Amino acid sequence: MSSFRNISRRDFLKFCAGTASILGLSEAAVPRIAKALEGAAKKPPVIWLEGQDCAGCSISFINSSNPGTAELVLDTISLRYHESLMAASGHVSEKAIQDTIKNESGGYVLLVEGSIPTEDPRFCQIAGRNFVDIVAEAAAGAAAVIAIGSCATYGGIPGDCPTPGRGMGVGDAMDKGLVPKKALINCPTCPVHPERLIGTIVYYLLYGKPPALDKVGRPVVFYDKLIHDNCERRGHFDNGEFLTDWNSFEKRNWCMYLKGCKGPFTHSDCPKRRWSDGLNWCIGCSSVCQGCAEPDFYAGMSPLYERSGKNLRGVSVEKIGAYATGAVAVGLAGHFIGQAMTGRLGKGGPPEEGGGN
Amino acid sequence: MGQRITVDPVTRIEGHLKIEVEIENGVVKDAWSSGTMARGFEALLTGKDPRDASYVTSRFCGVCFSVHQMASAACLDDAFGAQVPDGGRILRNLLMGSEYLYDHIIHFYHLTALDYLDIMAVAGYNGNDAGLNAVKDKVVSLVKRGDTYPLTPRYEPDEFSVADPEIVTMAVSHYLEALKIQVTAKNMGAVLGGGRVPHYQGIVVGGVTQIPSPEEIGRFKSMLAEVTAFIKNVYMKDVLLLGGPGGPLFPLAQLGVGGGHLNYLSYGGFPEEASGKEMFFKAGVVRNLHLDNVQSFDPDKVTESVKYAWYREQEPVHPYDGEQIFDRDKADAYSFVKAPRYDGMAFEVGPLARMLIEKNPTLLSLVQAGAKPGAVARHAARMIETVALADQMQVWLGQLIEAQGKPGFRIHDTDHWEVPDTAEGAGFYEAPRGALGHWMKIKDKKIANYQAVVPSTWNASPRDEKGVRGQYEESLIGAPVPDPENPINIVRVIRSFDPCLACAVHIIDPKTNQIRKFRIG
Repeated sequence: MSSFRNISRRDFLKFCAGTASILGLSEAAVPRIAKALEGAAKKPPVIWLEGQDCAGCSISFINSSNPGTAELVLDTISLRYHESLMAASGHVSEKAIQDTIKNESGGYVLLVEGSIPTEDPRFCQIAGRNFVDIVAEAAAGAAAVIAIGSCATYGGIPGDCPTPGRGMGVGDAMDKGLVPKKALINCPTCPVHPERLIGTIVYYLLYGKPPALDKVGRPVVFYDKLIHDNCERRGHFDNGEFLTDWNSFEKRNWCMYLKGCKGPFTHSDCPKRRWSDGLNWCIGCSSVCQGCAEPDFYAGMSPLYERSGKNLRGVSVEKIGAYATGAVAVGLAGHFIGQAMTGRLGKGGPPEEGGGN
Repeated sequence: MGQRITVDPVTRIEGHLKIEVEIENGVVKDAWSSGTMARGFEALLTGKDPRDASYVTSRFCGVCFSVHQMASAACLDDAFGAQVPDGGRILRNLLMGSEYLYDHIIHFYHLTALDYLDIMAVAGYNGNDAGLNAVKDKVVSLVKRGDTYPLTPRYEPDEFSVADPEIVTMAVSHYLEALKIQVTAKNMGAVLGGGRVPHYQGIVVGGVTQIPSPEEIGRFKSMLAEVTAFIKNVYMKDVLLLGGPGGPLFPLAQLGVGGGHLNYLSYGGFPEEASGKEMFFKAGVVRNLHLDNVQSFDPDKVTESVKYAWYREQEPVHPYDGEQIFDRDKADAYSFVKAPRYDGMAFEVGPLARMLIEKNPTLLSLVQAGAKPGAVARHAARMIETVALADQMQVWLGQLIEAQGKPGFRIHDTDHWEVPDTAEGAGFYEAPRGALGHWMKIKDKKIANYQAVVPSTWNASPRDEKGVRGQYEESLIGAPVPDPENPINIVRVIRSFDPCLACAVHIIDPKTNQIRKFRIG
C-alpha cells in the first residue's frame, strides 16, 4: 500500500461511504467497496468524450463534496481523456486517447457527454475527425458506455434544433448502427447529477455490470419514482395551495404546479437527493421542474412555465387539475401517471417520438 | 514560408477549438482560430414560449450558465416591459457574483495553472510543512504507480515554467483546495435562489423566484466569507507571487506575450439602481490602449462578417439585419464563429477590457511596473475583479437584508408575467468572459427570432472581410514557439482568454431563409 493511501485514507473511506450512501447500501458495504477499489491491480481506465455539449455535465461532475471528485479522479479511476480537465492538448491528448483505445481494448469505460450530430456529422469535429467516428471507435473497445446528461442520453436540446447539426443520443446512434452496440447506461438530467454519475461509475467498477435499468436505460435506483409523489411541497398540492406570486413570503413553499411544474411527469430522485450538496433544488427555489430526466426533454416539456393544458405523456392534465382542487385523493394521480408512462414506453428502449419533433 | 502547426483540440476550455499557427524563426507569424462545433439554439427557440428562453439559453454554456440566463431575462424584461423590483435586482447581482467567484477561481487553478507549473517539481520539496508534504506524497505515489493521468501527458515545461519545488507544491495544494472552494462558491448561488448549479433555475422575466429566508441569507453570508477568505489569502497572493513584479512569470508579462489588437470593449454589468444606468462594471470602448480616451459604447456600430465563417456569403452588416444561413462547404471558411467588429475594428472583451476601461489602479500599477497587456495581465485583471466583486457582494448582501426588513419587499414584477402579443427586447450583460448581448422578437406570443452575440464570438472570431485577424489570432502573433512539438505558449495565450466556444456559435434555421431585422438598444 502506498504512502498516499495512508495519508489520504480518511478521504478515501469518506468517498467510499458517500458512494455507498448514493447506491442505497448500508455502512457494512463500505469496507467491501474500499477493498474492491483498492485491490485492483491498476486504476480502471476511463475515456470521457464531449460532443455537442455545454460542459455543464463536466462542471456538475466537479460539484460533488461527498463523494469527492478529487478522490474519484486521482485515486479511483485513471482518467485518460477529458477535454475540459486533462493537462494535454493537441497531438499529445490525441496520443493519450489512441494509446488507451489500443492498449486497453475491452477494459475501459467510455463516458459520453453531449449529443452526436449525424445528419451532417461535420457539426462537431475534434482533431479533424467527426465526433460520431470518434465515439464509434472508442465504443468499439469499451467495456461499457455511460451516457451523461440529457444530450448524450436522448439528444437533449441539440436534438431538437432544426439544423443539420441536430444531435442524437448514444442509444439512438447505436440503434442506427452508427456506433457499435455495447452495454449502455443512461444518466439523464440537464446537467447530470454528480452523485448519480459517480454512483453509476463505482457500481460498474464494483460489479463489472450495469445496475438494474428501466425501459429507457436509466438506473432504477435513481429514476424509479415520480418527482411529484415525493415532493416536499406535495402536501400543499393535496390542499390545493398553489404559488402564484413569488413576492409572498408566506406562500413561498407552496406547490409550483400552476407555474408549470413538470414534476407529475418526471421520474427521478431529485426531491430526496436534491442538488448542490443537498442545499437546494429546482422546486426548492420556487422554480419549476422542467422534466429534464425524461426522453422528451426539452421540446416535449415546453412551454416550461405554463400549466400543461394538453395531454402530456398520454395523461390528461385536466385530470390532474381536478386533483389539484383537492377534491380527490391525489396519491392515486401519481400512481396513474406512473402506469401510463410505463404503458406508453413499452419495451425495447427509448421511444422514437422522444424530443417532440 | 514558415512551419505550420495545429493544436486541436485546445483542451481545458469550454467547447471545441482548433488553433493553427505558422512559425518562423521560433515565433508565431500567423494564426487561425476555428470553432469546430455548432448546435443551433436560436433556431430551436423560434416558435416557443418566450419565457422558456431564460431556461434554454442557460444551456448555451455549462460554465457561464447564469449570465446567459441573466442576459436572456434582461432581454425578456425589456420585451415584456417588466420593472424588476430592487429586491430582484440585488438578488440577481448576488447570483451573478457567485458565478464570477467560482468561474474565475476554476479558470485560474483548474484550467490554466498547469500551463505555468512543472508539476513534477513537487518531488523536490524538502520543507517541513505537513500539508505540502502530503501533496508531495500524493503526486509521488501517483508517479510510482505509473499512472499520473490526467496531470500528464502534457506539453513539456519551458523556460517560463515555474520549477521551484516550494512554489509548485504550494500551488498544487491550492489547486486541490480550490477544487473544494469552487464548489462552495457555486453552491452559494444555488442557496440564495439559483436552486442548483450548474444551470440556475431561479432567474426569470421580472426578477427571481426565491424570496430568501433568514436561514438562507445566513448560510450565503458564511459561504461568501469562506470564499472571500480564499480569494484574498490564496488566489490574490498566488497571482501576485507568480505574475507580479519579481515573480517567475513577470518576464512573460513584460514581453506582452498574447497582447493582440489592444482594443477593448465592455457593455457594463451589475446594475446598482433600477434604471441600470449605474453599473458596478462600467460600459466603454478603448482603442489602441488609449486609456485617456474611454468612449461610450454605441450598439449601432456593431457589424458581423461571415467571409471566413461557415455561413452563406454576404456583406458585413449589423448582426440583426442580415440573413444567417450556414454553408458548411464554403471555400476559405474555417470556423463556425462569425467575426463581430465594432466600428470596423476587432476588439477584446473580458476582465482585461473591463479593468482597463475603468482604469483600475491595481492593474495600472502593474502596467507602470512594466507589465504589458497579454496573457499574464489577463490573469491579473481577472483576479483583481474577483477581489472587487467579493467585497461588493458584502455590500449588496447588506442592501438585501435592509430591504427585506422593510414592508413591501418584492423580488418579482408579477404584473408582467404574461407574454405580450408582439414585442422586441434586448438584454446586455458582462459575462465573466466579456460582453454578452441577447435579442428577441415576439410575434403572436411566440418567439419570432432570437439572437445572441457572446464574448467568445468577439475574442475567438476568424478574419473579417478585410482580412483582419480576430483577437485570439492577433494575440498569438509574436508568441515564442522555439519547439514546434511543444507549443506551450500557444495554449497559454489562448487559455488566458478563458475560451467558451459552445456559446460562441449560433445558427439560424436554414429552411426559413428569413431576413431578420432587429433594433438594438
